[in-house]
Amino acid sequence: MSWVTDFAPERDDLDSCVTCGLCLPFCPTFRLTGDETASPRGRLAAILAVARGEQPVDERFDEMMSFCLQCRACEPPCPSMVPYGKIQERVRAELLVQRPSLRRFLRRLVLGRGLASPTMLRTAGIGVAVAQRLGLTRLVGGPTGRSLRALRRVSLPLRPTRGRSWEPRGTPVGTVALFSGCVMDVWFTPVHEALVDVLRVAGYRVVAPASQVCCGALAAHDGAAFDAVRMAAHNVRAFAEVDLVVVDAAGCGAHLRDYGHWVDGGAELAAKTVDATVLVARLLDDGALPELEGDRGEVAVQDPCHLRHAQRIVEEPRRVLRAAGYVPVEIDDLGLCCGAAGIYGLSYPDTSAELGRRKAAQVRDSGASVVASANPGCELQLRGHLDVGIEVRHPIELYRDALLDELTA
Amino acid sequence: MDLVAELESVLGSERVRAHPLDRRVFAKDAGVKTGPVAAIVFPETAEETASCVRIAAEAGIPVVPRGAGTGLAGGAVPVEPALLVVMTRMNRIFEVDEQGRTAWVGPGVINLELSKQLASTGLHFAPDPSSQQSCTIGGNVGTNAGGPHCLAEGTTVAHILAVELVTVDGEIVVVGAEYPDPIGLDLRAVIVGSEGTLGIVTRVLVKLTENPPAVGTLLLGFPTVDAAAATVSEIIASGLVPAALEMMDRPMVRAVENFVHAGYPTDAAAVLLAEVAGHPEGVRAEAEMIERIARSHGATSVRTAADDAERALLWKGRKSAFGAIAQSAPDYYLHDTVVPRTRLVEVLDAIYEIAARHGISLLNVFHAGDGNLHPLVSFDASRPGELDRVLAAADEMVRVSVEAGGTLSGEHGIGLEKRDLMGLVFSADDLDAQARLREAFDPTGRMNPGKVLPEGSRCFDRAAVSGGTGR
Ligand SMILES: Cc1cc2nc3c(=O)[nH]c(=O)nc-3n(C[C@H](O)[C@H](O)[C@H](O)COP(=O)(O)OP(=O)(O)OC[C@H]3O[C@@H](n4cnc5c(N)ncnc54)[C@H](O)[C@@H]3O)c2cc1C
Ligand code: SF4
Ligand code: SF4
Repeated sequence: MSWVTDFAPERDDLDSCVTCGLCLPFCPTFRLTGDETASPRGRLAAILAVARGEQPVDERFDEMMSFCLQCRACEPPCPSMVPYGKIQERVRAELLVQRPSLRRFLRRLVLGRGLASPTMLRTAGIGVAVAQRLGLTRLVGGPTGRSLRALRRVSLPLRPTRGRSWEPRGTPVGTVALFSGCVMDVWFTPVHEALVDVLRVAGYRVVAPASQVCCGALAAHDGAAFDAVRMAAHNVRAFAEVDLVVVDAAGCGAHLRDYGHWVDGGAELAAKTVDATVLVARLLDDGALPELEGDRGEVAVQDPCHLRHAQRIVEEPRRVLRAAGYVPVEIDDLGLCCGAAGIYGLSYPDTSAELGRRKAAQVRDSGASVVASANPGCELQLRGHLDVGIEVRHPIELYRDALLDELTA
Repeated sequence: MDLVAELESVLGSERVRAHPLDRRVFAKDAGVKTGPVAAIVFPETAEETASCVRIAAEAGIPVVPRGAGTGLAGGAVPVEPALLVVMTRMNRIFEVDEQGRTAWVGPGVINLELSKQLASTGLHFAPDPSSQQSCTIGGNVGTNAGGPHCLAEGTTVAHILAVELVTVDGEIVVVGAEYPDPIGLDLRAVIVGSEGTLGIVTRVLVKLTENPPAVGTLLLGFPTVDAAAATVSEIIASGLVPAALEMMDRPMVRAVENFVHAGYPTDAAAVLLAEVAGHPEGVRAEAEMIERIARSHGATSVRTAADDAERALLWKGRKSAFGAIAQSAPDYYLHDTVVPRTRLVEVLDAIYEIAARHGISLLNVFHAGDGNLHPLVSFDASRPGELDRVLAAADEMVRVSVEAGGTLSGEHGIGLEKRDLMGLVFSADDLDAQARLREAFDPTGRMNPGKVLPEGSRCFDRAAVSGGTGR
């Protein structure tokens, strides 16, 4: 029966795979299993078989696809530039329709609707803040419990950035819009605040448009394509007036930069979107921000997949960390996924935990007492698998702390 | 009990697959052909492998070993419904003898991974096929893989001391030994390159090579293919043995440059990538000598890698060649023939002519040092008749190589693809002798049948013999 939705994978994209196998060793699920059906090439072969109407969208197909982390580590080594991430998102949209289940329906409600609703996010945020204060997070078991306990302490009252603006310190050079995100804006406000501090020092006025919503990445990855389109369209309007948008979560940034696949006007928003580490590195290069003196020791660098593989951003976080007085330490030459991968841990807790343990071991082996990660999902996963004593911070936070030290000195 | 149940009783259900979609996904390697798969197994030990082979024997189906499936000749693609034995999970490095420079490794160990794991010892595994990031040691043994650095170091066969093998009747034997010259017949060279037709390799004793203290890498641009070829001939004639000597023609250089942006000269008609290795003094002298020879043949550009990063970039260009052309068309066909170096230019001209006549686009990349040509054809198999034209041209290209005194395959193996061309280089007697050797290992003909040797290689019909003697 092949495909049934308007979001079906495009045939040209599928045909671009020449089955060379050069992507295999970069794929975490292939690394764990040695199984072609858990590899990018194998998954593409399965998708092509369905596209040709030679295999049905059955349980086995669903399983092969769902086991994929959507980390996009298979994209950079691909000589043929197969847009794997895009193909897999479209397959998920087909699965949502062709393989309906209660779990899929509930996930769609949360990812496609819940995350787009500020009220729901606020309610959830307050719920977590209260649970943290009452010690209730200890009562939740499994991977959900581990993630909950790994959350930063949520401030009460909440301090969302949406709808706020900040004036520059010193001579104004321009305006930049902050992409606030969904959970980021409730649970990771300290990272937003750090970024705002840094940009103000560089002379930027920072605005966080009130009408922006969740980027829709989690919805898109889970096949809630209509919801993803709606959110994308919403954000295209919300950011229409500005010409620079900064994002401090790698997952959101990667998705925003793919908006061209999703809505009209998406490519324009994508073109003016920049990751926080890239913007700060640029400001450092231009001399708009200072290289800070001091020896703050070593920091392990964890590359979020959606920074390194999806956006090919590798050097900039290191650049920012060096400017903050740290010595970046490499932990993994392949940049294998930490297993967080959005909500992957809910579907494949064992695989997610195994990858988390491996990543934590790499961090521990580096000997550094701080690890820098530029994505909220990875941060939770790292903190969940690391022992106390190793701090997990966003690179921009580390730079901001060093900057404030210098400014107050 | 049926085949799957039987296999599951040994391996458990997770390591046995027979769903149509799994069989479909495993039906192909990196080449162009697909074949029928009955079931797939992932053994983790030699004993498990042996059990799988015995179960397949009882079920009366053939066995096909598979590594990473990067083979280009269809070696891991069955010709009749077979049990596919996937070796990727046997990926342990068992023991490394740094003094003796050897290591026992599982066949599923990835080629590049082995050298990476050995980094701290200052040793590496020398054969470096362009697919080294993905292909397995078992697959390298199967195809006797080569690579740019095999010019000085020799192909896989020169780096294998012993193999542990599961034979067609499920016996586990060790061929070869830790010392270079075992007593009795040396069967290692028979196993290496046998493409899984003699048995399944379950452990390999590899020879390790010391990392050279210094390396020099040069990228040379030439105004004509002839000038580049003449440079190659003179370098070899001068007695120099470069660590690697690779050539690419203009279409290839452009495709690669578009992909990796390594700064290759896109205006040159041909580019040579030369590498010398050894002691710093020698490296400097040899690099200068190569530069001098190149300039005397009119080299238009000479670039020397300043550091490891630049060297890696230059090599990335070369090693991405196969994939880089994928940008222009969805399929590619990669040839692998060998011609005497002295007749390089002439054969190249003939190959360009064949491509033009069949109306197909051709790019050239090759191990110039040993005359191993890799003409690459990019095409679109979904267009009717296109694959046939490509295969017809392929046939002709192999023929001109052989007529010029060359051979069928430099390193990718014969497999399914070139099987029927074996008659071009071997007489009926030669083929019969090879078929007999194979029969000595596999009298039932169930170990990766239909590969390497064309049908009818044995001078009298095998079916009659196996049926008649009850074996
Ligand atoms: C982009 C690209 C570049 C390449 N470049 C080169 C190159 O430079 N040089 C070169 O030589 N090749 C090259 N190849 C071809 C291929 O990578 C090699 O032939 C490689 O050795 C195959 O290894 P594999 O693990 O993928 O084996 P597979 O493809 O899985 O199998 C290859 C053959 O070996 C047999 N085999 C595999 N494992 C075992 C085992 N354990 N025991 C017994 N038999 C076994 C199989 O039956 C089959 O006949 C290239 C391929 C690609 C796609
Ligand atoms: S996205 Fe990640 S898990 Fe999925 S096929 Fe690519 S590398 Fe593998
Ligand atoms: S590297 Fe790209 S072209 Fe090669 S098998 Fe993987 S997806 Fe296909």
